[in-house]
Amino acid sequence: MPKRNASSAEWQGVTLLGINRRTTLQQKEMGVLIATIATGILFTIFARNFISWANLVTVLTMASELGIVAIGMTFLLISGEIDLSVGSVFATIPLIMAMLFVYHGISEWIGMGIALLVAAGIGYLNGQITIGTGIPSFITTLGMMMFWRGIVLALTGGRPVAFFGRSTLLAILGGLLPGGVRAVSIWFVVLVFILWLVLEKMRYGNWVVATGGNKDIARELGVNVRKVKLINFTLTAVLAGFAGCIQFARLGSASPAYGEGLELEAIAASVIGGTSLVGGYGSILGTFLGALLMAIIRSGLVLAGAPAYWYRSFVGAIVIIAVIINRKLGSGGSQK
Amino acid sequence: MRDPDALLEVRGLKKAFGGVVALRGIDLTLERRQIIGLVGDNGAGKSTLIKIISGVYPPDEGEIQYEGKPIRFSSPMEARGVGIETVYQHLALIPQMSILRNFFLGKEMLRRIGPFGFMDFNDMRGICKEALEGLGIRVRCLDEDVSFLSGGERQAVAIARALHFGAKLLILDEPTAALSVRETETVLNYIIEARNRGLAVIFITHSLHQVYPVADRLVILEHGRKIGDFKRDEVALEDLTGIIRGTQTKDSS
Repeated sequence: MPKRNASSAEWQGVTLLGINRRTTLQQKEMGVLIATIATGILFTIFARNFISWANLVTVLTMASELGIVAIGMTFLLISGEIDLSVGSVFATIPLIMAMLFVYHGISEWIGMGIALLVAAGIGYLNGQITIGTGIPSFITTLGMMMFWRGIVLALTGGRPVAFFGRSTLLAILGGLLPGGVRAVSIWFVVLVFILWLVLEKMRYGNWVVATGGNKDIARELGVNVRKVKLINFTLTAVLAGFAGCIQFARLGSASPAYGEGLELEAIAASVIGGTSLVGGYGSILGTFLGALLMAIIRSGLVLAGAPAYWYRSFVGAIVIIAVIINRKLGSGGSQK
Repeated sequence: MRDPDALLEVRGLKKAFGGVVALRGIDLTLERRQIIGLVGDNGAGKSTLIKIISGVYPPDEGEIQYEGKPIRFSSPMEARGVGIETVYQHLALIPQMSILRNFFLGKEMLRRIGPFGFMDFNDMRGICKEALEGLGIRVRCLDEDVSFLSGGERQAVAIARALHFGAKLLILDEPTAALSVRETETVLNYIIEARNRGLAVIFITHSLHQVYPVADRLVILEHGRKIGDFKRDEVALEDLTGIIRGTQTKDSS
């Protein structure tokens, strides 16, 4: 915590509140913004065609599916919990949708509705187990990550479910728009806007931050901490499932192997974007940039001719650098 | 005959935790427009007493009358709902949130746009500023995180918030314990201002010297009993110190 040098300077028996210390440099998203711009410049120099419409569209598409999962994760992290099962949910939900739709001839709309209800149930269950028993959500959702992965492998025998026909719903979810833009990018941007609005401008956002900041004080002041956490667990699972459905729409297939490691990437995107792992602090715009940065690295490495294997090392380094920048700027990321 | 100024009366309050007796029958009357210094060593029963009054624990025995009616709180929320506000030293505000967001936490003002309610930052800002300035706090920026504020400033915000949301009884737990001399003075002024607005204030401390200058009345607890209840003007600081020391030497011998 910075020293309060002469802050209440003009002391005349009055307290002077607020020094407006939060300059532009100390916005929550500054760390990731600097990292994104620096990486962008790096690839502009070293990678051919990095700055091109086609590549920008690709980057946004790659950022979108991860990003939709990550913004849910951000909400949950801010309220002081974590969900490691998002990768498995990302695989499970579209498989339920695809099996109902392809094998059982149920309308894709109803199929997706049912599948997303299952996602909501999974998230709600994560919350109930965590809150009801008091065990850490890290443990609950670690168990659920394995549990649901096992379920989908058993249900499908490890085989993907494919669909090659035409479907309005799948076109809406994952179709191609004029200019090569994928529908998924639109979904991502819209969801970022909605969640940003909720977090920054609505009462519920205030409660989410307070719950993760200090749940005892929040409860004292009348926030239903339990309900906030349950809603966030549910939201995270639904968004993970929805992102999985979008991937199904884009690829035309759903596989029980999809989404492995996605939970860590989603956490990485949140943390790069300035969200604290211990709760009480975070930003949806930061996560948006975090997901974008990870996509930039992925596409930039390919365009620069480097083997794609480097991607993980790069992202790993960025996670550490971005959090250090956040902390140096004193904007509170990953610190209590 | 009941005191017309009485805001809260407790009679024969007893509380034990397992085999440990925390309160052995406390009678206490709190009047409006009065600062009561609640003094006692650790384990004297101060915090048990205020936790019963603020709805954290139910008493084992005894009754509580609030505004002339018997009352039994089942939660701190309920006590807060009727105007009993407790400010704990480290548990008043959420450090990672701004002054403004803390001030209205749980009581956000909304502006409806269609079916959606958005926080009305303009109105909240104005009201928060007014409430703080009314207490003599000058405000430059309400968007600063509380983690940047000093202990005294946090107390100030919490007190202003309690006053604004209609507290009638303000319970302050060691409000000046961790403060510098200058900040202590400022916070004491806020406490006096709260009293002047008609509130009953309970000022809990283990140090007589901290509360004596501002208290209207001093209540001394020792081992779960009330061993003294004085109007400040009728008793000198030395005499009170003697009373406390007297019982302590008796106990230790």
